[in-house]
Amino acid sequence: MVPEHLTIAEAARLIESRELSPVELTESRLDRISRLDGRLNSFIRVLAEDARKEARAAEAEIAAGRYRGPLHGVPIGLKDIYETAGVPTTGHSKVMQDHVPKADAFSVKRLRAAGAVVVGKLATHEFAFGGPSFDLPWPPARNPWNTDCFTGGSSSGTGAAVAAGLVLGGTGSDTGGSIRGPSAYCGLAGIKPTYGLISRMGILPLGFSLDHAGPMAWTAEDCAIMLQAMAGHDPADPASAKVQIPDYRAGLQGGVKGLRIGLIRHFYERDNEANAATRQAIDAAARKYAELGCTVRDVTVAPLEQWSACGVTIMLSESYAIHEDNLKRRFTDYGEIFRDRMALAGLITAADYIQALRRRRELVAELDRAMADLDLVMTAAAPSEAPPIDAVPKFGTLALPSLTMPFNVTGSPAMSVCCGYTGTGLPLSFQIVGKRFADATVLRAAHAYEQATEWRNRRPQL
Amino acid sequence: MTRAELDAAFARLGLDVPDRERDECAGAAHYIAELVARLRLPGGRSVAAEPAHVVKFPEG
Repeated sequence: MVPEHLTIAEAARLIESRELSPVELTESRLDRISRLDGRLNSFIRVLAEDARKEARAAEAEIAAGRYRGPLHGVPIGLKDIYETAGVPTTGHSKVMQDHVPKADAFSVKRLRAAGAVVVGKLATHEFAFGGPSFDLPWPPARNPWNTDCFTGGSSSGTGAAVAAGLVLGGTGSDTGGSIRGPSAYCGLAGIKPTYGLISRMGILPLGFSLDHAGPMAWTAEDCAIMLQAMAGHDPADPASAKVQIPDYRAGLQGGVKGLRIGLIRHFYERDNEANAATRQAIDAAARKYAELGCTVRDVTVAPLEQWSACGVTIMLSESYAIHEDNLKRRFTDYGEIFRDRMALAGLITAADYIQALRRRRELVAELDRAMADLDLVMTAAAPSEAPPIDAVPKFGTLALPSLTMPFNVTGSPAMSVCCGYTGTGLPLSFQIVGKRFADATVLRAAHAYEQATEWRNRRPQL
Repeated sequence: MTRAELDAAFARLGLDVPDRERDECAGAAHYIAELVARLRLPGGRSVAAEPAHVVKFPEG
């Protein structure tokens, strides 16, 4: 009997020691999807036969002594903006519902090369921006902790599927918080790595200069395993960095004693006021880091609305440019939320965009200065637990400054870490952020916190 | 932004926005004006303050 919930690391240990068969594990996830996903809508497309074939191949390879590593034979899901050869990649939109790519995205190739079994394509907000929408060809994903609640977005299906144990890990993308938001609301670990660490080749874009690909999983260790497979230089992506990729999983060890953490308290206490449960949970997390031997002190940077204005202006301008032609020709083929946000994006001028790019340079320098004598900063990942799914405003991105956007503006590695639950059982999270290309430090800090607390022992009851 | 101004902007952009949605967009257009106003610093910037992501040619 395969356990209902397994982390990637736990499954890998059992698969490597041949106590768990990739075929059994994959079948158990397909069974779980067929029993539970009717309530969650986390999958757009289940690739059952392909997954079985990949699982059998993994099993045969492992039996022959060719074990590839901790993703070998592990079922994962792909946000449906990651292109897959011969399998539709829709962006959860009518506009691209017949789009069948010829090749896998670079990062998908990497995950397959590591032996991952792709179980299916996961729901997203339309083109990673418009949602939750009820007027698209597929319904929006639901939060497994309470199906009346929002998953966060845009990597909504990944958030729901991983939390529910339908897959052990999945891919997300993050232009203004689309990995960290759903990770926070669904209680996952999700890292937006440094800009350029994972190739964006073959991933439908939202905002070229802000788009980050990354993993979402149950633990920081699982994120490290997935990031190891996904990271690496790709000459086909002009933003891809040529850097040495460290051993992220080995880097988890050693604890956090001596790390210097800055707490950006004004982001969630003044600029976008978080509720009491969130503030208390973050305070407790900061105290835990102090107990673990870190120094934690408050740090002040520009008000959140400055970071958000910069990032949102860039995101809207770049996404409008990407969709301009289809918006003119097929406006009502898009869902109402996406198209109306884009209609407003059309009001931004070229001068506004250039001012945002100039502001970006200033803000990057400002965070660098603030972090000169720090290793990490932490702040809220979201201002509250998940709200009801029918209470998400169409123009919410514009009305309140985003807590996650600052680190898209700077390209810094940033991660959501679960730090408790509300009285009604919904997850709470904080965000931990490192210097560019210090992704290993972020993962190590998240891992140390998870090991020192009990939050990873709780799963949604479905 | 008035509804008439918004209608003119959408016409210039070539967007066929349904009538009902135009009223909502008109009600939210102030967010864009506020957003882009925050990008301008009081007193302005040096003319030499270049944007991020200026072109960088390969070395060698």
